[in-house]
Amino acid sequence: MRRKNFAIPVKLWVLACTIIGISLTSDTMLTCIFTVAGFVYLGFQQNWRLLFSMVIFYIILMGLLYFIRFHEFHPVVFSEFYVLMFWNLTPVFFVSWDLITTPPGEFSAFLSRVHTPTSVILGLLVIFRFFPTMKSELKCVWLSMRNRGLTAPIQIVRHPMASCEYVLVPLLLRCLQIADQLSVSAVARGAERPGKRGSYYGKKVGIYDYIWLVLWFIVTVVFFSIGGVCI
Amino acid sequence: MISLQNVTFQYAGCKEGVHDIDLTVRDGECVVLTGPSGGGKTTITRLINGLAPSYYQGSLNGSIWVNGAEISALPSWRIGMEIGSVFQDPKSQFFSSELAGEVAFACENYGMSKQEIRKRTDDAIASFGLESLCMRPLDVLSSGEKQRVAVASVYALRPCIYVCDEPTANLDGEGALRLANTFRKLKNEGNTLIIAEHRLTWLNDIADRFVYVSNGTIQWEKTLAQMQGISEEERKRYGLREIIEKEPSLPTFLMDIGKENFCSVNLTFKRKKTAIFENLNFSLPAGQIVALTGKNGVGKTTLAMVLTGLWKQSKGEIYIRGKKLSEGKRRKAVWYSSNDTGTQFFTSSVTDELLLHSSYFPERLERARALLKEFGLYTYKDAHPASLSGGQKQRLSIACGLLSDREILLLDEPTSGLDGGNMRKIAAALTNAAAEGKTILVITHDKELIQACCNFRWELG
Repeated sequence: MRRKNFAIPVKLWVLACTIIGISLTSDTMLTCIFTVAGFVYLGFQQNWRLLFSMVIFYIILMGLLYFIRFHEFHPVVFSEFYVLMFWNLTPVFFVSWDLITTPPGEFSAFLSRVHTPTSVILGLLVIFRFFPTMKSELKCVWLSMRNRGLTAPIQIVRHPMASCEYVLVPLLLRCLQIADQLSVSAVARGAERPGKRGSYYGKKVGIYDYIWLVLWFIVTVVFFSIGGVCI
Repeated sequence: MISLQNVTFQYAGCKEGVHDIDLTVRDGECVVLTGPSGGGKTTITRLINGLAPSYYQGSLNGSIWVNGAEISALPSWRIGMEIGSVFQDPKSQFFSSELAGEVAFACENYGMSKQEIRKRTDDAIASFGLESLCMRPLDVLSSGEKQRVAVASVYALRPCIYVCDEPTANLDGEGALRLANTFRKLKNEGNTLIIAEHRLTWLNDIADRFVYVSNGTIQWEKTLAQMQGISEEERKRYGLREIIEKEPSLPTFLMDIGKENFCSVNLTFKRKKTAIFENLNFSLPAGQIVALTGKNGVGKTTLAMVLTGLWKQSKGEIYIRGKKLSEGKRRKAVWYSSNDTGTQFFTSSVTDELLLHSSYFPERLERARALLKEFGLYTYKDAHPASLSGGQKQRLSIACGLLSDREILLLDEPTSGLDGGNMRKIAAALTNAAAEGKTILVITHDKELIQACCNFRWELG
């Protein structure tokens, strides 16, 4: 099923409320209120993949916290502090991930509407493209390294610096090439034209967007009234 | 109309460029710039679309006129309204992960109204038959589909001139044919086309005129009829590809199972529960070159990745010289040259790249030197591999494979961006390697390469 996205102002509002709530709370355990509200928020947008992975992650955190608190469990590889930190920050993680995985077109449409300069919009579009492109390039570099026999454990142990260089050099050079080709493509398609940019998307704020805007405000107020504020 | 009058251009900081260019392109005409790699074709396209000297800096003399206006007097965005540009590698041109967003990009930049952008975008998508791609992310499309999206994104702006720099360099045969239909449509609509290209067969009924560019200048011009009548010797002398496609006559590959050289038994590969190929049995003969062909998406590259040991098969066994080998051991025996050469090199010079992982014995150095000379890369022996052109990188990758001690070579579309002369150099080198006993499997749609060096043809799917 195709993902539905709330309007960008709603997503920004949700992120702002979550960050403020988590930064100012005096009861860290109560951040689960934001997490549960966030899960409903993701479900409403049919962002099932993110919802599923975050629910599993949260259940694992919950299990770890339970054992740390009630069974004196002390993990060897990481401290209890990190578990609590992730417990607190989980809603911020997935609410911001939901925001940055919004189709870039919708993002740029919103920015055009609020009169953001074209150079800023294009910079943002490049950032959006950068991560998926680099991910696929990294995969290609790794495959090429395997093909050339540069990933054998003995090779990596004997020459750790050279192995890092083998990954970084082609990746950085490719990064430069892609940046250059993207710039040329943008210039050839009128990116340097002065004036306001148009938009294909331009989504209107609907009734559900308003409902969620109000709902998150209520969630934040309830959160502060139960847990208190610590400045 | 486009007119270049006595144009000389030299890139800043290097000696490369073009000189004494006089070229006139009439409205609605399709002109193909052809010639050897590095001859100056790309520079001429950059001069026409204004990217040189505005983006690619250098010194320009002479004048370039497009539809009555001198191009040096126009800002880049103004040129973009008249001239649409299509580049070699579509995947690094996209600003959006979705089809509609990408096709609309240029219209958005020109500040059109939402209704106008939507109309033009939807028209462009429908005109190029891209509706079926609307729900798919651009990253997962084939190279051919990506290139058609790139053309559609230019088409949405409705320029009257299209300047294309080797648009089929990363495409297989089928992708090139589909792109040919796209350009035929553009020409029939009265647009002017300027295409820098090595592969000429797909332009056979689109081109009006062929301009041969070499050593930075225009050497000659021929009409389509003159080009079709060019002799075989002349074509080879100029390093040109075939103009009229000939179907290679090769024996079909027989799937005999014998474990003496390189074979698979019941080889199956599944991705996300979908079988890419199933129960594949074959045996590649030593000292032979087999051309692996087949439609897009049939699993040719996947098969090569599995055979090389870069991916693990879901089922089945692979034998080399009678021994069943794991993925790790296969990687030591089989060389794979990918079609995408952007991330294949790891050292700081062409020579180091060739000698990576090998000892610097005099015979090996001599062999490396001979290969560099054979592939026309000797002058670049100290250059960084990233500074090479696409065709040079392809040749370097094959040279690395030939110099490796691996007995089996798998090459994926090794000649897609090469001119005729370099294609024939590759064919000769592969023939020599096979004569020395190497087993070679070439995934290719290049019928000239198949005819020039392959012994068998294996149609997958």
